[in-house]
Amino acid sequence: MKSEILYPGAFPMARVELTAGEAIKAESGAMVASSPTIDVESKMEGGFLGALSRKFLTGEKFFFQTLRASRGPGEVLLAPTVPGEIVMMELDGVNEYMVQKDGFLAGDEMIKLDSQMQSLSRGLLGGEGFFILKVSGKGTLLLNSFGAIHKIELKPDQEYIVDNSHLVAWSGTTSYNIERAASGWVASFTSGEGFVCRFRGPGVVYIQSRNPGGFGAWVRQFIPVSE
Amino acid sequence: MKRKGGASLMNSPNALCFGEEFPATGVPCHVEVSPSGLTLRFQDDARGLGELSLPFSTVSVSAGGLDHDQLVVRWGLTSQVQTLYLKDPAVIRAFRSAAPPVLTKHLDETAATVRRVRSRNRTVWAFMSAVIGGLVLAVWFSTDILVGWAVDRIPVEWEKRLGQSAYQDFLVQQTVMKEGASVAAVHEISQRLLEHILDNPYTFEISVVKNDVVNAFALPGGYVVVFTGLLEQAKSGEEVAGVLSHEFNHVLERHGLERIVKQLGVVAVIGIILGDQQGLAGVMKQVGVELLSLKFGRAQETEADVRGLQLLHRARIDPDGMITFFQRMSEQEQGRVEWLSTHPMSAARAERLKKEMALLSKTVPEPFTFQWETVQASAGAVRR
Repeated sequence: MKSEILYPGAFPMARVELTAGEAIKAESGAMVASSPTIDVESKMEGGFLGALSRKFLTGEKFFFQTLRASRGPGEVLLAPTVPGEIVMMELDGVNEYMVQKDGFLAGDEMIKLDSQMQSLSRGLLGGEGFFILKVSGKGTLLLNSFGAIHKIELKPDQEYIVDNSHLVAWSGTTSYNIERAASGWVASFTSGEGFVCRFRGPGVVYIQSRNPGGFGAWVRQFIPVSE
Repeated sequence: MKRKGGASLMNSPNALCFGEEFPATGVPCHVEVSPSGLTLRFQDDARGLGELSLPFSTVSVSAGGLDHDQLVVRWGLTSQVQTLYLKDPAVIRAFRSAAPPVLTKHLDETAATVRRVRSRNRTVWAFMSAVIGGLVLAVWFSTDILVGWAVDRIPVEWEKRLGQSAYQDFLVQQTVMKEGASVAAVHEISQRLLEHILDNPYTFEISVVKNDVVNAFALPGGYVVVFTGLLEQAKSGEEVAGVLSHEFNHVLERHGLERIVKQLGVVAVIGIILGDQQGLAGVMKQVGVELLSLKFGRAQETEADVRGLQLLHRARIDPDGMITFFQRMSEQEQGRVEWLSTHPMSAARAERLKKEMALLSKTVPEPFTFQWETVQASAGAVRR
C-alpha cells in the first residue's frame, strides 16, 4: 500500500495504491473514485454489535468500507466530508492513538479500531463526547481535520494546553486533564475558551486549526429561517 | 548498566522508550523481565542503541498514560532521564513479581494512589451528579419563576410582531366586518375597557369576524378577535364586556408569551436572558403559526378572570355580565360553544368570581349607549 496526499491544503484528496489482494479500511462515503479492479466491501468492523456500538456511541459511521484490490492492482481516491487537511502517519504497532469521532479517514487493513469510553469528566467536558476511537496496530493511518492539522510533540512531562474542540488525535502515552481556561468560572466562559485540555507528554497531539462547532454557530446566523 | 552493541534477536516491540534525543512518539523496543532487571532491545540500530540492561536498582517506577494503566519506568541522570512506557499486561505482571519489594512497594503505592484518585473522582462525580440532578429538579419546580423572568426580558415590540403575523394570517382566511352596529358596539365596549387599563404598553386591535362559532381570542401583543357567534349568544353588552375584559387581561399579563417560553423550554429562557435575540426571533416565528391553538393554564385563566373583573369594575361595567355569560354558556350545548373548550367553566370558577366581586366596592354601573337588540340583529344578519 502506497499513499500520497494530492492537493494539500483545504481540499486535499488521498490517493492510495493497492497491490493485488491488498485492502484498506475507509470511513463510509470517503471514496471518491477508484480503478475498476477495486471492490467495495461494506464490512462492520468488530462485528455487528461492535459496529452498532460505534455508531451509537461514537457517532462514527455504522459501516467502515473496505476497499480491496481483489481483481488486480489499482488505486483509490479518498476525501473527507469537511474542508481540511489530511495527514498520513505510520503506526509502529506499539503506539496507540485516540482519535476524535470525525478524525478517521482511512487506514491499512491491519489497523484495529475500537470504541473507547472516556472518563466522565473527559466525556462531559472534553468536547469529543464520551466515546472516542482507539486506533492501534501496524500500518498507514490517514486522519482528516477541519482546517489544517498541527502536530504538537511532547517530551516526557512536557505540558501543553489545547482548546478541547480543536483536538483531532493524541497518542496513548499522553495523559490529559480538563481545566478551566481562566482561573475563574466567569472569565473562562467570557474569554470564549470554556474548558481546555492540559496534555502531558510524552507523545504527540494532533490539533485542527478550526473549530467545527464554532464554525457551525457562525454559519447558522446566515441561514434564513423558513417562513 | 551495560550496553551491548550489534544485532540481536529481535522480538516484536512491546514498549516505547522516550528521552531527550528520541522522537516524541518514542522508540519501540522489546522489553524482557529477568530476576535482576529489565532488558531492552531496540529495533532501530541506527541510533546505536542495540540492547540495554537495566538492573532494578537503577530505575524508578510510576503509573502513566491516558488512563494511568501503563507502567512508567525511569532511569538515568536528572539531565538525561529516559522513560519507558510498558502497556502489555503480561510484562507488567512479570515486572511486579520479579522486582524487589522496594520498587514494587512504590508501585503498589502508586497503584493505590491511582485507585484512590479514581474512587475520589467517582465520589466527586456522584456528588456532582446529585447536585446537577438537584438543580434540574429545582429548575423544574421553579420554571414559573424562570419563565416570568424570561418573559420580562422580551420587548413588547417582539411580542407585537409575533402576534401581528398570526393575527394577519388568521384574518386573511376570515370575513372581517368593517361596519355596522355590532362593530360599533364591540368598539364602544373595548374603548370603555381600554380607557381604564393602567400603564397599557399595547395598542389593542379588535376585529369582528363573521362566524357562527361562539368564541373570542386574544393574541400576544394585543390582537383580539371576536366572532359574531359570540355576539348572538350574549344577552347584553355587559356579557361581551366580561369576555373582552378577560381576553384583554391575557394580553396584559403576557400569558401567551409565558406559554411560548414554557413550550420552548429552558434553552429559550437562557437564550432570552443572554440576549440571543436572533435565534429566539426565528424560533418564535416558527411557533407563531401555532399561536392560535395556544391554550392557557388554569392559573392564567384565574388571573385573567380576577383582573378582568377588576377592570370591569374600574370601567363601571356591571361585572354580573361576566358571570352570567360564563354560567349560561356552560349550561348550553357544549359542542358549539368553542370558547368553553379553552375556558372550561366550573362551579368553582363562578364561585371564585362571586367572591372576588364581593370584595370590590359598590359602584353604579354606567350602561352602554347601544341597543343590544340592534347589535344582535346586525351580527345575526350576517348569516341570514
